[in-house]
Amino acid sequence: MNTQAEQATMNPLETSLRQEGRRRVAGNTLAFLKNHAPFDKMGAEALQLFADKAQLAFHPAGSEIVGPDAGNVRFFYLIESGKVQARQAGEVTVTEYSILSLGAGESFPIGAVTAGRPSTNTYTAVEDTFCYQLPAEDFLRLMASSPEFNLFCTQYIASLLDQSRRQLQLQFAQRASEQQTLNSPLAGIGSRSPVSVAPETPLRTALEKMSQAGVGSLVIAGEDRQPVGVFTRSDLLDRVVLADLPHDVPISQAMSANPFKLEEHATAYDAMLAMATHGIRHVLVTDAEGKLTGVVSERDLFALQRVGLRQIRQSIEGAHNVEALQHAAADVRQLAFNMLAQGVGAEQLTQFISALNDALTRRVIQLNLDKHNFEGIDWAWLAFGSEGRDEQTFSTDQDNGIVFACPDTAAVDALRQRFLAYALDVNKDLDRCGFPLCKGNIMASNPQWCLTLDEWRDQFSNWIRVPQPEALLNATIFFDFRPLFGKIELAESMRRHLLAQTSSNPMFLRAMAHNALDVEPPLGKIRDFLTDLEPDQPGKIDLKKYGSRIFVDVARIYALATGVHNTNSVQRLRLASKRLSIRDEEINAVLEGLDFIQLLRLQHQYLEGEPGTQGDNLINPDTLNELDRRILKESFRQARKLQTRLKLDYQVN
Amino acid sequence: MFSLKKLLFKAGSPEHLPDDVRSAIEAWRSSPAPELDDAHFHVRYLVIDIVSTGLNPDSDELLGIAATAVSQGGMVQPEDAFYLDFASLDGDSAVTMETTAGHRLDRQLMAFLQFAAKAPLVTYHVPYVGGFLQRLYKERLGVNFEPQWVDLAWLLPVMFEEKSHTLLPLDQWLELFGLEAGGVRRDAMANTLMLARLFQMLLVRVTDKDITTAARLIDESRASSFLRRTH
Repeated sequence: MNTQAEQATMNPLETSLRQEGRRRVAGNTLAFLKNHAPFDKMGAEALQLFADKAQLAFHPAGSEIVGPDAGNVRFFYLIESGKVQARQAGEVTVTEYSILSLGAGESFPIGAVTAGRPSTNTYTAVEDTFCYQLPAEDFLRLMASSPEFNLFCTQYIASLLDQSRRQLQLQFAQRASEQQTLNSPLAGIGSRSPVSVAPETPLRTALEKMSQAGVGSLVIAGEDRQPVGVFTRSDLLDRVVLADLPHDVPISQAMSANPFKLEEHATAYDAMLAMATHGIRHVLVTDAEGKLTGVVSERDLFALQRVGLRQIRQSIEGAHNVEALQHAAADVRQLAFNMLAQGVGAEQLTQFISALNDALTRRVIQLNLDKHNFEGIDWAWLAFGSEGRDEQTFSTDQDNGIVFACPDTAAVDALRQRFLAYALDVNKDLDRCGFPLCKGNIMASNPQWCLTLDEWRDQFSNWIRVPQPEALLNATIFFDFRPLFGKIELAESMRRHLLAQTSSNPMFLRAMAHNALDVEPPLGKIRDFLTDLEPDQPGKIDLKKYGSRIFVDVARIYALATGVHNTNSVQRLRLASKRLSIRDEEINAVLEGLDFIQLLRLQHQYLEGEPGTQGDNLINPDTLNELDRRILKESFRQARKLQTRLKLDYQVN
Repeated sequence: MFSLKKLLFKAGSPEHLPDDVRSAIEAWRSSPAPELDDAHFHVRYLVIDIVSTGLNPDSDELLGIAATAVSQGGMVQPEDAFYLDFASLDGDSAVTMETTAGHRLDRQLMAFLQFAAKAPLVTYHVPYVGGFLQRLYKERLGVNFEPQWVDLAWLLPVMFEEKSHTLLPLDQWLELFGLEAGGVRRDAMANTLMLARLFQMLLVRVTDKDITTAARLIDESRASSFLRRTH
């Protein structure tokens, strides 16, 4: 290659003969390009740029063309002839394929060269291969100058994103099927500590034991723990009541002898088959020595099947005690998980979780009304925070309060005490159903948050008038309120008051904006992400604190500023952006960013957390696959864009 | 072809060269030759093909030169290519044109020398290509055109014995390498690019055989043609 200085001294004839040479080499390349998409649709100028700049290189069979270790990708490769194999580096599969074969006319690595980063895949020539290689800067020029080429690359990347999403769903589906398959061994299904009694136990004692344990069946086992019989509620009718059996005979006289047994390594399918064949509803599970280790009931096997939305709703609404609701709560989580596996987006999913949790909470509230009577009093149960916004993830603790109307000011405190006692019961029951008590004590059983309508209004006004740090913090929790039960009008009245106050107090919104800008998305100037923001969690990013909360905070401010009644952040942003005439594409990109962060949170909480434990929001970006990392980065960029807009709108520096 | 033929065999001698060509030749002669003990990666090879009216350098006419560089680790560089079509001289037969056209031809030949910059030349069958060039440069510019040659015709059967160990026509090699079916008419540049591909593959092969520098490759080429011809 000649330097510019050399070219300057070149005589004009040599220059023109060189140009003719280049024109002809490029002509050869053009002839190739015209036979392959997307080049066949591209304009002449764009094609000429490609042909003038692309070098042709040879890669013998078995040689690596480009891979993750080669650093940032410097070329866009287009296969002229031969075959190239793309193999995913690392253990995490980003796309549907783990090995992909590329032939003449196909190009790579589009994502990497667009982003100017190392390739995720290793590209190896499997045959002797010739590739055109276009330097990255010319590739980017081509992207900028040719709409057809741009579309091609964008669609390609979009399809990768889509594949990544589907891959995510596949991982869930696998996890789901692992949990649910009828091939799973009985050792992991049903009751691990079945209620059992000795054969000589008097019938009455055995029945008492059943009643106490709240079970429908009883195993009768000898001292060697070998099961000899089963006694169920249906036996009670036929063999005890109708048979006039005295209550002091041993249970062995009433039981069904020779119960059906399966060893632990038998599968759920075996158990289901046995139930169908023998017309039984319970299968006893034993170890290799025949000792009782568990019971699998028909219900347990059905639970393995997909839990349906309607069944859960019915079971919630029909529940008569907290125990039944506990089951339902577990089902909600299972169903949410299944939906995640089926590819339901984060927005719908969190709303769905919220809807069922609402139903659960309402039932708990109703059940407790049996013991507390508030007849003739207008009151409502309020949900705050993420529950108030319909944005619950799998692990959300309680944030609730009560608003009540009390025309007689002298009676307020007495009434409050009654509500507090009631709220305490509800809070405890909710805790048992999987909604942990709020660490910050934002609960209806706290006198601070069990207020009359006037008190709530005053509280709101005070926070808005004097936007101290604590008031602003409270605003982020309490302004996202939503009535769950009771007199909805009370909450509506609170909302009208709130919106009237905020719209007439620009200073307050500005203070909120200032606060919302305290935390910035963890985008690094050199590295992709800043992972050292949490001193006790090096290498991790708090997806709530540095991710979704940014969106949520901005959404709240714009909702309050534009008089949007909704509390859900997605709805707030959609409605507020309409009122502020923000373009749809712009807001959609923002919402997609939020959606992805929420999805990652859900995934992290469900897939990585131990079942039954509280998931956190801390992810290590290095453990994400390359694509997710890129989408996450883009999502954070959207958060930053949103903040920039807020900054401009409220003149916060 | 009439005027060209006249130009090539009668007109023009070094004494009548225009001054700019004369000084260019001097500059070219004194210019340093590229370092050939360098690894292939750093060497600028020029793959070259010619068009002629026939196969005999002594009686037939040279019509054009097409060349492209293979450099920076064996890559065809579109920005480093050259195409010369002597036929563009054809047409007017006016006597006055003779000197002008003669000067033009001299300058064109000079331009190729400058473009080549003493780089090793790669072609298929050196006696044919080299023969035409040698005669023309001697007659027109008084230059002994004796570049470092890499002859694919001889090297391919040595380096790709598994494909063929005898000399073959170019199209058969292309077929053996699965590069485009034979029999298709190619212009000089298309042919050059085909040769370039063969050479790109050859570079990988010779490197495997520990022929890692241009100097050694040129030696190998010379040896293969000598051995073949004398045995």
